[in-house]
Amino acid sequence: MTAAVADPEPAVFAALADPTRWRLLGTLARQGEGTATTLAAELPISRPAVIKHLVVLDRAGLVTRRRAGREVRYRVEPARLEQTARQIAGLAAAWDTRLAALKALAEDG
Amino acid sequence: MTAETDRIESDVLIAAPVERVWALITRADHLGRWFGNAGAEVDLRPGGALSLRWSDFGTFHGRVEAVEPPHRVAYRWLSRRESREEPTPANSTLIEFTLAAEGDGTRVAVVESGFDALDVDTEERAAALASHTSGWTSELGELADYAAQVPAAR
Repeated sequence: MTAAVADPEPAVFAALADPTRWRLLGTLARQGEGTATTLAAELPISRPAVIKHLVVLDRAGLVTRRRAGREVRYRVEPARLEQTARQIAGLAAAWDTRLAALKALAEDG
Repeated sequence: MTAETDRIESDVLIAAPVERVWALITRADHLGRWFGNAGAEVDLRPGGALSLRWSDFGTFHGRVEAVEPPHRVAYRWLSRRESREEPTPANSTLIEFTLAAEGDGTRVAVVESGFDALDVDTEERAAALASHTSGWTSELGELADYAAQVPAAR
């Protein structure tokens, strides 16, 4: 696949590849702003596990965090997700593009 | 939610006979035009060597895994550019083409699989992961839209 890849975002893809993190991100999007505690309440994983995943998402720029008193509140960073969605669309299209080229060549001849 | 991470599938209906399409997916002069864009070499027998060249990405090597004319051919290609290692599940993915007559044309299905078993560096792994199904893309887009609607502060 690397052949057709332009400018991948390793941290983002790695962060999204994990099903638990993906689910956590969806839960956070629904909550709007959440803490490790509110997220753990809705997910089948412990609060420390939530924190671990939030660190990965934060590092990838997929969530932002702010401190409010003793809590750290997280939210999804939409711009980063949109950018990633655009990149993935381009990458997933690699085979469609190749098959279109194959089709054109076959039908020309 | 989330997605299949191990494989990517696609197919296309081509208005040409199976034999012609078979030639296009197994002959080096053709592979070097629609798959690579700067040439290819292929020794079309199980275990035979495969090379695909791109003018802007360089050369990717691989191996022919299966040849069943004119309906199925499978190649394994190395994820690392210019690598000439022996292809294994840890360093390569499997590409399988299946051809079937459909009306006057040919249905070509391609499955590229083995992304989960890749043991390559982060960037290459990311590139491989990026070939998630397109369904994943729309879900990401929906999630982004959803997240954007939520007020910035409460």
